Amino acid sequence: MSGGIRAWDNPVAVGTAELGLKLFDGDDTPQQTLQTAYSLEMGLGDFYNNLTARVSQKSIQELFDKLSRIEIKHQDRLFNEYVRVSGEQIERASFDAQIETGALEGGLTTQEYLDLFKPDLTSAVDIVSLAMSIEAQALDLYTRASEKTEDEDSCKILQTIAQEERTHLELLGKLL
Amino acid sequence: MRWKQFFTPVKSVSPSQAQKIMNDNSPDNFNLIDVRQPNEYETSHIPGSKLIPMSELDNKLDDLDPTKPTLVY
Repeated sequence: MSGGIRAWDNPVAVGTAELGLKLFDGDDTPQQTLQTAYSLEMGLGDFYNNLTARVSQKSIQELFDKLSRIEIKHQDRLFNEYVRVSGEQIERASFDAQIETGALEGGLTTQEYLDLFKPDLTSAVDIVSLAMSIEAQALDLYTRASEKTEDEDSCKILQTIAQEERTHLELLGKLL
Repeated sequence: MRWKQFFTPVKSVSPSQAQKIMNDNSPDNFNLIDVRQPNEYETSHIPGSKLIPMSELDNKLDDLDPTKPTLVY
């Protein structure tokens, strides 16, 4: 690619090639993979909800609400995929109760993202940029996880989610 | 010099062309390689790229699928 990374003016990912991979075991089943991805989406939705409480501007609160709703849609998609793959007749509430959240999409914690990107929480541009950075980090993590996994179906699921994150990045870019 | 054959023919693409390739294809349909040093990768890298420093490339050709297009930076 001409110009290398310096010419790349799209969001980048940071961190080592191993960052966040501890969330994914190399031998995860497709169901476990979907549960992990779901937990990351859930963590990000909670992150946006928590930030909503920390800002007073109505327009910024609405923006966080919009970002949070996007994550809920991601979760819906992953839950439906889980039901399809597992064949389980499971209620959403029961499924949610099994999910442990600790990291966000991309494998970093809330504080790590805030420390890393230091967004101005009164700036819509900063907030959308933060969201894009998180999606870029997620795209990177899912791609690296797909290379780590030994289960072919899990690998395909991770590749599909990675491509969806790329689409989300494009959509967020249109908010700027 | 097997690696030279692997990347033949080589043509340069712009970042926007590279982005289009990534947007239009599933990640399993192309190789995206970062050939810089690990500390450079850690500072920033194109999401989804695989770190294979130039000095290790000849030993890691088996990690790449030669039937797919390869983007390198």
